[in-house]
Amino acid sequence: MTELKEHDKDINSFLEFASEDAAASVAASANQDGPLAGLTFGVKDNIAVEGMHLTCGSKMLKDFVSPYDATAVRKLKEAGAVCVGKTNLDEFGMGSSTDNSALAVTNNPWDLECVCGGSSGGSAAAVAAGLVPFALGTDTGGSVRQPASFCGVYGLKPTYGVVSRFGLVAYASSLEVCGILADSVDTTRKVFEVIKGKDGSDQTSIDHIPASADAETVAVLAGDLGLKPEVETAYKKAVDGLKSSGMKIIEVELPMLDYGIAAYYTIAMAEASANLARYNGVRYGHRSAEAGSFEDLMRMSRDEGFGDEVKLRILLGTYVLRSGFQDQYYTRAQKIRTAVRNEFDGVFTKADMIMLPAFPTAAFKHGDQSLDQFQQKLADKFTVAANLSGMPAMSVPVSVENGLPVGMQLMAPVFAEERIFKVAEKLAEVLPPAACPLSMAGQRTTEAK
Amino acid sequence: MEKDDLLITAAQAQLALSAEEAGRLETAVSEMLDYFEMMNEVDVSNLPPTTHALVRENALREDNPNPNNNQEDLVNRAPENEDNFIVIPNVL
Amino acid sequence: MAASTSYETFIGLEIHIQLLTETKIFCGCKSKFGDKPNSNVCPVCLGYPGVLPALNEHAVELSYKVCRAMNCDLAKEGMFERKNYFYPDLTKNYQISQFEKPFGRNGYFEYESGGGIKRIRFHEIHLEEDAGKMIHQGGRSFCDYNRAGTCLLEIVTEPEFKEPQEAEDFLQAFRRTVRHLGVCDGNMEEGSLRCDANISINTPGAGLGVKTEVKNLNSSRFVKKALQYERRRQEKVLKSGGKIIQETRLWDEDKSVTESMRTKEEAHDYRYFPEPDLPPFRPDQAFFDMIEKSQIELPLARKQRLTEDYGLTPDQADYIVEEKAAADYFEAVVALGADAKTAAKWIMGNVAKELNRIDLSKADLGTEKCALSAERLTKLLGMLADNKIHGKIAAQTLAAIFNEDKDPEVIVKEQGWDSSADEGDLEKIVQQILDENPRVVEQIRGGDQKPRGFVVGKVMKATQGTANPQSVQSIIGKLIG
Ligand SMILES: [Zn+2]
Repeated sequence: MTELKEHDKDINSFLEFASEDAAASVAASANQDGPLAGLTFGVKDNIAVEGMHLTCGSKMLKDFVSPYDATAVRKLKEAGAVCVGKTNLDEFGMGSSTDNSALAVTNNPWDLECVCGGSSGGSAAAVAAGLVPFALGTDTGGSVRQPASFCGVYGLKPTYGVVSRFGLVAYASSLEVCGILADSVDTTRKVFEVIKGKDGSDQTSIDHIPASADAETVAVLAGDLGLKPEVETAYKKAVDGLKSSGMKIIEVELPMLDYGIAAYYTIAMAEASANLARYNGVRYGHRSAEAGSFEDLMRMSRDEGFGDEVKLRILLGTYVLRSGFQDQYYTRAQKIRTAVRNEFDGVFTKADMIMLPAFPTAAFKHGDQSLDQFQQKLADKFTVAANLSGMPAMSVPVSVENGLPVGMQLMAPVFAEERIFKVAEKLAEVLPPAACPLSMAGQRTTEAK
Repeated sequence: MEKDDLLITAAQAQLALSAEEAGRLETAVSEMLDYFEMMNEVDVSNLPPTTHALVRENALREDNPNPNNNQEDLVNRAPENEDNFIVIPNVL
Repeated sequence: MAASTSYETFIGLEIHIQLLTETKIFCGCKSKFGDKPNSNVCPVCLGYPGVLPALNEHAVELSYKVCRAMNCDLAKEGMFERKNYFYPDLTKNYQISQFEKPFGRNGYFEYESGGGIKRIRFHEIHLEEDAGKMIHQGGRSFCDYNRAGTCLLEIVTEPEFKEPQEAEDFLQAFRRTVRHLGVCDGNMEEGSLRCDANISINTPGAGLGVKTEVKNLNSSRFVKKALQYERRRQEKVLKSGGKIIQETRLWDEDKSVTESMRTKEEAHDYRYFPEPDLPPFRPDQAFFDMIEKSQIELPLARKQRLTEDYGLTPDQADYIVEEKAAADYFEAVVALGADAKTAAKWIMGNVAKELNRIDLSKADLGTEKCALSAERLTKLLGMLADNKIHGKIAAQTLAAIFNEDKDPEVIVKEQGWDSSADEGDLEKIVQQILDENPRVVEQIRGGDQKPRGFVVGKVMKATQGTANPQSVQSIIGKLIG
C-alpha cells in the first residue's frame, strides 16, 4: 500500500486508499479460489464501497462514507479481488478530463502535464500506472472509453443493464453503466464475467445472453471526421491492423452522430437535474453554515457544494424539462435517440462491428484553452451513440503518437461483448499496446505474450 | 436563454446563484441551448421516443421485509439530528 | 341544512390510500405506522447516493385490484415517472409517481346517497410513493422518514358531486369498499386514508367555476362540514361581486372555517419525465386473470343481496356489511342452518354487546381472536329455536362462550341449564308451588293474571333459571284451567 501511495504521488489517481489494516484483513479473508483471487482493483469514487468515501469528486459529498457496497463491487469482492481505493473523477461524472474534480488534480502517467481524460480519469490513470490491473469506472457518454484512450488502457462500456447500476451514483440513469478499465483484454473479460448479470436491486438490469462472437466485417467512417492528426494516423493504423488480421473493412456514414450529441446532452442533463436534487444538506452531505431559513439552507448548500459544470448541467436539465420547453427539447431528444439506434442497427445489418475513434484528440494539457468545456462536449460525438443505443463498446490502445497513447473504439450490437474481445485480441497481436513509461514495474501484466 | 428565464430555472433547481455566477453560467447555458437547436433539423414525426435503452421484461420485487440494522448509523449521518429525528430549520 | 343556492356546485375528491403491503414500495423496509422515528429506513428510502428503486409486486397487484373494483380501464402498460419538486419530506426531491400511463383510467363507483344509488366517475388511479412526516417545533422541523416510500394509491374523482353530503356518503362507501377489498385499513385519523377536496360554484349551466382546494380533512364528517362552509364562503364572495381565487385552503376544525394557506404558490411545474430506473410494467394475461379472480362482491351489492335474499332490514344489512368479516360471518352462520333474521338480530344485539365487553369488534368475527365461531353461534341459535334453552339462558351461554371458549352445548350441560327437562318434572314443580300458594290460585282463577308472574318466578328459582318461561305459563294454564 505504501508503495502504491508513493507511486501515485505525482499522478494522483486515487482520492483514498484503503487503510493498511483493512486491506490486509480483506486480502486475508478474500476468496482464494475465486476467479479474480489475488487481483487488486480501484473503484471510481462515484461507486459505493462500504466503509470508504463516496465523494463523487464533489465538495457536496467530500466527507460522505458509504454504508453499503455497489453490486458490482460486492461481486468483485466475492470473486476474490481486493479493493485498494477510490479513484478521482470529474464531479459526479461530468467532464472529459477529471479536471472537474473538486477534490484533486490527476495527471496523465504518460505526461504529467496532460489530463488523464474523464470522467473515469483516476481509474484509467491508475491502471496505466500499473497501480492496479483493473479499476471500475462508469460510462455515461464515453467516460470509460475516452480516459482509456488518453491513458493507453482497455476501457469497456458493457451493454446497458448488463452490469447492475446499484451503488453507482446516478448522473444520467438511462444512459450509464458500470465499466471496466484494465491492462489487458483478458483481465477485462474476466472482470466482465464476474460483474455482469441481472440484479434484484436494479430492475433495469438484465441477464447477459451472449450474441455471436464472430466478426468478419468491420464498418469504419470515411471522410473528414475532424480528427487531430495523431488520431487520424492512429485510425488508419487500426484499419490496416484489422485488414492484416483478415477482417473485411467497409466504409459507412453515420449522419446522426452530430444530432446524437445534442440529444445525448439534453437527456443526460434532464436526468441529472432530478438525480442531483437529493443533495440538499438535509440527510447527509454538505450543509451550508450560513443559512438561517430552510430554503436558504437548501439553496446555499447546493450552491456551495456543487461546482460550475454540475450547476450548468442542472440548470440546463431543469430548463429542458420545464413545461412549454419539454416537447422542443427533452421529448425531441428521446425521438432522436431512436433515430441514432436505428442508424446503428442499419449498419449492423452490413457489418459485425463498427470501429470509431474514442475521441478526436489524444490527451490534452491541463487548462488547454483550445478545448474548452463546450468543445469537449462536442468531442463526445463518437462515444455517446453507444450510450444512446445501449450497445457495448470498448476503447483499445492501438498506437502511441508523439509520446501519447491513442485508442480506438470497437462497437458491436447488444450482448456482443465477446465479439469485441476477440477483435481486440486480434488487434493486440498486430498492434501490441505499449507500456506506459511511468508504469510501476512488476505490477503490470503485459498484453503481448 | 434570457436572464429572467435563467433565474426562474435556478429557483426551480434550488440553486442560489450569485450575480457573478449567473453571469458566468449564462453564456455557457446559451451556448448549449443554441447547440440543442440543431435537433430541429431532424424529422422526428415517425419516431417513437426511447425512454429505456433496452426493452425488458417486467421486474418486480417480492413483498418481503429486509432485515435492517443500521438505521441509527444512517440517522447519525445527518448534519443535525436529535432523538432519532433528522433536524432542519423550521420550514413553515 | 344548507340554504338552497342559486349556484351550481362542483365537488371533486382526491383520495390517497396507503396499501396494506408488508414493505415499502421500492425497498424492503417495513411499512408500519407508529414505530420509533426513522426506525424503518434504509439507504433506498432515505435517497442515499447510488441507490435504486425496486418495485414491490404486491403493491402493483393491490393497485390493479382497486382499479378493477372501481371499473377502470386497466393499463396494458403502466409506467412510473418522476414528479420533481423540492420538499424536505421527499428524500430524493422527486416523487416516483405515475402520469402518462397510470394503472387505471376512466373508472366509476356506485354508492348510496339521499335514498338512491349515485355514480361518481374517476379520472384515474395511480400508484406512487408516500413522503415522510415532519413535526414543526420552535425554530426547527423534525423529519421522520418511516412513512417515506410507503405505497400510496391516488384516486381522483371527476368534479361531479353536487352536494357536500354526496361527497361524505361517497367517502364512507369508498372507505368500506377498500376495507372489504383488504387493500387499506381506511384509518383516517392515522392517515392511511386521506382526502382532499376541491370545490367550485357557478351560475347554472355555466360549467365549472374557479375552484379552491381544501385540505386537512381527516374524517368524512369534516369533508362535509368543510365543503358546506367553503360553498357558503364562495357564495358570499360572488354575491358581493368578488372573485374566487384559485388557492389551497386548510380546514380548521376548532374554528369550523377554511383558511387560506397563504403560501407563495408559484404555479407548480413538476417537470414530469419517465422514471429511467424502472422498466414499464406490462402485465400478461395470467396477471389479468389473477386480478379478475381476486374480485369480491362489493359492499353495496352485498347489502342489496342480504336485504333481498334474507329479508334483513336495510339497517341490519348496513350493520353487517360494514365489515367484510361480519358479513362473511353472518353468511357462514346462515349457511350452517341458522335463521337469517334471528342471526342478524343476535349479531347486532347480544353478540355486539359481548364483543364490546371484551374489546373486540365485529371486524373480529370469524377470526381466531373471537371464541364465538360461526358453528358455535349456529348451535346456540339452534338450541334456542328448539326451546332447549330460552332467551335469558342463551344470553348467559353466549357470555360463557366468550369467557370459557367452549361449545354452547357443553356449557349448557355443565351448568345444568337445559330446559328441555321432562315436561312432567316441570309440571310437578309447578303443581307444588301452586299447592303452597292457594291464594294465588284463587286470584288467577278469578281472572287476575298478575300472580302468574309470581308463579313463574318461583319456578325459575326452583329450576335455577333453566325452565322455559313460556312452558311454565302453559303448564299454569293447564293446571288451573
Ligand atoms: Zn427503505
